[in-house]
Amino acid sequence: MLDLQQTVDHVLLLAERSGLKEVDALIERDEALEVEIRDGKVEKVEQSTSLGLGVRVLRNGKTGLASTERLDTNAIERAFQSALENSDLQDPTEVVLPEATNGLADPESLGTYNSDLEKLTSKDLADLGLAIEASAKNADDRISTIPYLGASRNSSEVLLVNSKGTRYHQHNNSVGAYCGALLQDGEARKTGMRFWNQRNWNPDAAQRTGEEAVRKGADLLKAQPIPSGKLPIVLDEYVAPRLLGMYFGAFSAESAQKGMSRLKGKLGEAIAIPELTLLDDPHRIGGNRSRLLDAEGVPPQPLPLIENGEFRNFLYHVESGRKGKHTSTGHAGRNYTGGVSTRTHNLVWATSDSTLEQLCRIPEECLLVTQLEGAAGCNPISGDISIGVQGFLYRNGARVQPVDSITIAGNFFELLKNVRAAGNAYQPNLTHLFIPALLVEGFTISG
Amino acid sequence: MLSESTVSKILDHGRQQGADFTEVFVEDSVSSNLTLLDRKIDEINSSNSFGVGVRLLCGDDVYYGYSSDPDEANLLRLTANLGQSQREGQPGALLPLQQQAVEDIHHIAINPETISKSERVELLRQLDELTRKHGEAILQVSAGMVEKHRVVLIANSEGLWVEDGRSYSRMRLSAVAEKGDGPQTGMESPGMLGGYEFFQNLDLEEMAESAATSALKMADAGYIDGGTMPVVLGNGFGGVIFHEACGHPLETEAIRKNASPFCNKVGEAVGQSILTAIDDGTIANKWGSCNVDDEGQPTQRTVLIENGILKNYLSDRIGARQVGVAQSGSARRESYKFSPVSRMRNTFIAPGPNSMDEMIGSIEFGLYAKKMGGGSVNPGTGEFNFAVQEGYAIRNGKLAEPVRGATLIGKGHEVLPKISMIADDLELAAGMCGAASGWVPTTVGQPTLKIDSILVGGR
Repeated sequence: MLDLQQTVDHVLLLAERSGLKEVDALIERDEALEVEIRDGKVEKVEQSTSLGLGVRVLRNGKTGLASTERLDTNAIERAFQSALENSDLQDPTEVVLPEATNGLADPESLGTYNSDLEKLTSKDLADLGLAIEASAKNADDRISTIPYLGASRNSSEVLLVNSKGTRYHQHNNSVGAYCGALLQDGEARKTGMRFWNQRNWNPDAAQRTGEEAVRKGADLLKAQPIPSGKLPIVLDEYVAPRLLGMYFGAFSAESAQKGMSRLKGKLGEAIAIPELTLLDDPHRIGGNRSRLLDAEGVPPQPLPLIENGEFRNFLYHVESGRKGKHTSTGHAGRNYTGGVSTRTHNLVWATSDSTLEQLCRIPEECLLVTQLEGAAGCNPISGDISIGVQGFLYRNGARVQPVDSITIAGNFFELLKNVRAAGNAYQPNLTHLFIPALLVEGFTISG
Repeated sequence: MLSESTVSKILDHGRQQGADFTEVFVEDSVSSNLTLLDRKIDEINSSNSFGVGVRLLCGDDVYYGYSSDPDEANLLRLTANLGQSQREGQPGALLPLQQQAVEDIHHIAINPETISKSERVELLRQLDELTRKHGEAILQVSAGMVEKHRVVLIANSEGLWVEDGRSYSRMRLSAVAEKGDGPQTGMESPGMLGGYEFFQNLDLEEMAESAATSALKMADAGYIDGGTMPVVLGNGFGGVIFHEACGHPLETEAIRKNASPFCNKVGEAVGQSILTAIDDGTIANKWGSCNVDDEGQPTQRTVLIENGILKNYLSDRIGARQVGVAQSGSARRESYKFSPVSRMRNTFIAPGPNSMDEMIGSIEFGLYAKKMGGGSVNPGTGEFNFAVQEGYAIRNGKLAEPVRGATLIGKGHEVLPKISMIADDLELAAGMCGAASGWVPTTVGQPTLKIDSILVGGR
């Protein structure tokens, strides 16, 4: 089996031998170590290494793709030939590979990798998991079971090369833990779930995941529905990025060109409250999607999608850029098994001054949403939101009751114009969506 | 795949590490993916997935590792590393490997390799045209073909050596319609455990009409007023609710953790006597079927609920042992990157005595959820959330205007007893189910049925 460098070099050699001028190769190597805990012991240990190579050939304006997880010369040659054959049938995309970028900084400056995490053993992770379980069990005597509890470290390595001289190598890693506790009080059952995911090993902070998960479930145990109607809603700092994150595909130029974005033709228009600037920042230190080159080798720069409420920029990769007579903004995303798509880097919605509790005090009555139930009722094209939620009813600034068995309905594009205030903090885990808690109006509650 | 000698060495190495059971899972899959979007072939992709998963069991503790490097020394090192993680154990027995013949009941009429990619491209273009002809309001069409051939080898320290081949064929169609009030999407995605005959036998006109009509109807629709009301759930993919809200909590993966409302309920009434539900992995060429499960056990037909009484759980090796039930051949995994757990195969509610007209006629105001979108469930509490892809209001016993944006939410074990009428129009529909062991092909299904009351989210 070839190593990463040998593999990509072999792809370039095959291209040269066959007279192909444009080819790129993306190789990913993932390693993980994970433990699961149940009833005071380690129930499962999983360790893994996986590798994959994606080959993209470009000839006569057409693109061909193939991938393999076997990294021997025969398998690589088969993948290369498959990519060539596939390109014959593709409609022309007019994609050309970007030239290599000179003077690129060291990707390590992005802070996406901490070599210390690689030293963590299964025992370190098991000890953390056991400590989380102990802290959870001590937190509430209504715990029925803790069915989901684990800790893991993950690392990934990506190497992108192309026939224009690009050779980009980036390393990411993280350590994480999760706890899901099931609580029962009479007939009432609730699951409280909490995640911890960081790039620094901090078992004391991670251990609190257990207690926080239990508290989250316990707080909702006595939940009841509330009557249907219109009510201001506060999305907490965990829920806001999860909900809004489903809709940012609308900023893709490719989606607009294919008639699948409601932002088509709206550049320069006011689409959000004047206070809102939404920035795509590829260089945010430690951001989950921080990169110096995108998946095609184009260097992205910080780019406002919305500035003072006005829609400023679509996101382009090479193909959508050529179609839209615009240069690529460096927003190509890709994994080794797939083709290029549009992908945001780190999206940053500025924080404001209010704490979560202060946001809940602004309206006379509001619903604080702390949990989303699935995402199936959310349509990323139309922007429609229809989703089950759980949370708390607030009246005159005081928490009145926990709430479940309700849905909220609205629309993402209307939400952008109906944000009344933003919170002062992002959720603390590693992420690419830096969106604070939001107080929004215009939602309908069905209960 | 791997040689018998290498597999034997891994199994022996597992035993030496103190495991009382060792299993090797090898997978070599070839897949292709063609997508037509915006009238153009947007992507043609070929993939080869290959790797080896090694599982050691020490009592009920699981040690799982995988690698895409088939080198023997690498795999023995992986096994040794797994062994270092585990507690002291008594080494189990190691029986000689015995190859077991698999009777393949899933006949492939046309080998996909004999069909050119250009023929596939032509089929997609045809489907695109058939969909667009339903009117200028159809703004966009995406059509795709996904084909995968999985070859797996499962061997274990109890002497099992079984190989199986599984061919999957699936067509996806998505139509986007716009009539001035935002784009709406209609989708169809049938699939089969079989060869290229699946594509040749598809009624493309019917598929195009169904997706286009759904998108057009929803583009015309207003929003439903939410609230608790009776709902008639359409046949076929409507079964996704049973799958999510009852099927997952009936897997021993949830039962063994005491994380299901159905724990200790076997033999008890969980629905009205009209309700019978089955999970069957043995249906020839059905999308969720298999010859053997991913632990190498023959798949089975498992009656989950019979006349309202809970009869069985779905189990894998660990789940069966911990819950104290027999293995049901339900161990499944997406690939070598996952250790297997109990999962559904083809899950459906059996036909009943009623008709859809009876159901609609019995409702003064409610919702007809003709087509369901996706959804999710919390197995521990049974709380679920599903989107209605195509819905209609029911007024005074008759189908009325189309409605969009509806969501159904509730708790599975509370909704089951509220199923009061079941029709005789059972249909099955292909889907992909995501859970602890990854995404696996599953079939959901049901006849049209009536739920007396459920919360409908709307505007």
